[in-house]
Amino acid sequence: MARSWMRVAIALDLVLLGVFKYYDFFAVELSNLLGGRATIPLLELTLPVGISFFTFQAMSYVIDLNRKVIKPMSMLDFAVYLSFFPQLVAGPIVRAAEMAPQIRNHPDPRQVASGEAFQLILRGLFKKVVVSSWLASSIVDDVFANPEGHSSQDVLLGVYAYAIQIYADFSGYTDIAIGVALLLGFRFPTNFDRPYRALSLREFWQRWHITLSSWLRDYLYIPLGGNRGKEVETYRNLLLTMILGGLWHGSTWNFVIWGLIHGIALAVERMLPNRQTHPGIRWLATFHIVCFAWVFFRADSLASALDVFSAIASLPSSVELTNALIILGIAGVLVAQFFPYSRSEQVKRRLSKQRVLTQGLAFGCGLVLIDLFGPEGVAPFIYFQF
Amino acid sequence: MKDKTTTGSDLQPDDAGFPAGKVFLSGIAGLILAVAVNSSTLLADAERLPDSRSRSLWIAIWTPIEDVASTLRLTWPRRAGDFLLGRNEDEDRISLHREKIAPKPDSQELTVLSVGEETSEYELDQKPALAAEPVWSSNNPFTIWVLGDSMVQFFGDTFVMMAERSSSVAAVSEPKLASGLSRPDYFDWPARISEVMTAHDPDAVILMFGGNDAQNIKTKDGLWLERFTAQWEEEYRKRIASVMDLATGDEGRIVLWVGQPPMRGDGFDARMQRLNDLYRSEAVSWENVHYIDLRSLFTDESGNYARYLPDSSGKLTDVRLTDGVHLSHWGGEWLSTLLLNEIKKTPNLDWLWNE
Repeated sequence: MARSWMRVAIALDLVLLGVFKYYDFFAVELSNLLGGRATIPLLELTLPVGISFFTFQAMSYVIDLNRKVIKPMSMLDFAVYLSFFPQLVAGPIVRAAEMAPQIRNHPDPRQVASGEAFQLILRGLFKKVVVSSWLASSIVDDVFANPEGHSSQDVLLGVYAYAIQIYADFSGYTDIAIGVALLLGFRFPTNFDRPYRALSLREFWQRWHITLSSWLRDYLYIPLGGNRGKEVETYRNLLLTMILGGLWHGSTWNFVIWGLIHGIALAVERMLPNRQTHPGIRWLATFHIVCFAWVFFRADSLASALDVFSAIASLPSSVELTNALIILGIAGVLVAQFFPYSRSEQVKRRLSKQRVLTQGLAFGCGLVLIDLFGPEGVAPFIYFQF
Repeated sequence: MKDKTTTGSDLQPDDAGFPAGKVFLSGIAGLILAVAVNSSTLLADAERLPDSRSRSLWIAIWTPIEDVASTLRLTWPRRAGDFLLGRNEDEDRISLHREKIAPKPDSQELTVLSVGEETSEYELDQKPALAAEPVWSSNNPFTIWVLGDSMVQFFGDTFVMMAERSSSVAAVSEPKLASGLSRPDYFDWPARISEVMTAHDPDAVILMFGGNDAQNIKTKDGLWLERFTAQWEEEYRKRIASVMDLATGDEGRIVLWVGQPPMRGDGFDARMQRLNDLYRSEAVSWENVHYIDLRSLFTDESGNYARYLPDSSGKLTDVRLTDGVHLSHWGGEWLSTLLLNEIKKTPNLDWLWNE
């Protein structure tokens, strides 16, 4: 009986997501496939903010209930869980098992981790307002808007810059969300762990958007059979999981291709014999596969993505957008991925040990500096659209 | 920038933390400090807002704060930072008003109906000719500048890419977000257009304004004119005329003035339609200014706004962004095709994209 209710709940969740996010995509594709023989009405609905995130949270709740991982939440607790504003718009995807005990036990208002929270919010704002916006306006937007009009060096650097931009943008939002939740006494799970230091695609997905990848693993890949069946079934499960993961980001073929590239890369990685390849080569291969896939993620269309590769493959010519600052910025972020974690912990500890008023004033000074170095207008977070 | 987006149940705080009340007050103290140091910037931002109650309210809030902060010398760190970053340039602004030239009796309005239409469907009796007929080549390219607000942001680069498929063409797109002709105190388009014409002398100019212009106008005397009143319309027409005059220059440069496409919101669409009427009627006064109507291009069979429209092969295409205002990548391609076809109609340019 409980299982049937779970299925009904999941079906309702998926229907809502499907109608709002995918109906028009499939209706247009079907109309074009039928070549005008039938007109399928389009809904042109406005996408509710954060629907992809809160739908996945709701699904995790009913599945975990059925698995008896969690106990039922009261209606009010569930409403708080699903609509908790810090992560509502762009994650992290917080599972009921992580939030329910915190809501039930009530955070202790006498012990707010203010130093940690202020540091996270400032770091997130810096990543978004300064790093992400600067890279977008200095090179990425130009290169992806008109790849044919730029030299191969500019386009290649633009692709690297996008890898850094999307990381700074998304992990910046996550930092802010985690920091704001901390001020309210809630702890969210880790969502990014220096993803560009990964030496394999598998490791990349253990470090990038961890709450999504672990959601896909626990609620899709493993129920599909995971790696428990034949090898060929494992590859199928990997491909399916990653393609659906791609489609979760948006209803375009580019996201499907992005997921497919990751699925194929994960499958190939699994097929390869376990040889002792130099870590440098493994890092280079992993980073470039991720960047290759990002091109499809960022480009407006399949044709635009192919234009980017065509531009990279063209003969080098004079550079217009590349400069030392951009190269240093990209290299700096990549190098920082290899810094020992204790370094950022030291900053956090130092701030946490200050008097609370000092923390607040340091927070104010940080805001001024970020506003000073940031551009005049800052684009919305990339992950708001998902 | 270090990572490991922290927290999670594996990461506990190093100390027990502080009471929420104290954290709240210290956070407020930090915000007050930030507001005081940044007050000049906040006031300047408020002054750029459209004339409205919200603008008046923000100015009323920031002005005394800025006064106090300046008196306490709290604003200098931000000013010093801006200075060091080179953001304190006071550019000479030119007047918005220039004498309108007399309308040419034989001038015609040009309205394009849809993408891919052949010239025969909207032939001009007299096409504008360039003053000279140079041989365009990669060494001496035909230059096109695209200037305007955020609408240009979404199709300008696509246009540049498509235009530069001819080795004899060099194109530049220069959008300025949230700009227009109503608020030169925010961005002075006549000044910028004048600079571009003087410094680069393009052969063709594409202009698109309006999205941010349906707002009250501040005159050079500091008076606010209420949107769409007779006085407002007179002033806005002068501004359109001034820009058209600057853009065409003495040599009769080709100017394509792109009207606003249909918008999803009825009220916004009606306001854009009113502005389109002004652009259309002003363009008649200049021989080389062509008004490009986008309404027919971006409406469905019923003449309404539509996000998905069939292309020339009948394939449904997503031509608008989800905001119901801007053009998507494909919409940008449609508009760019339309504009290139328009430029090609000039007698000595018809070969340009047929190489």
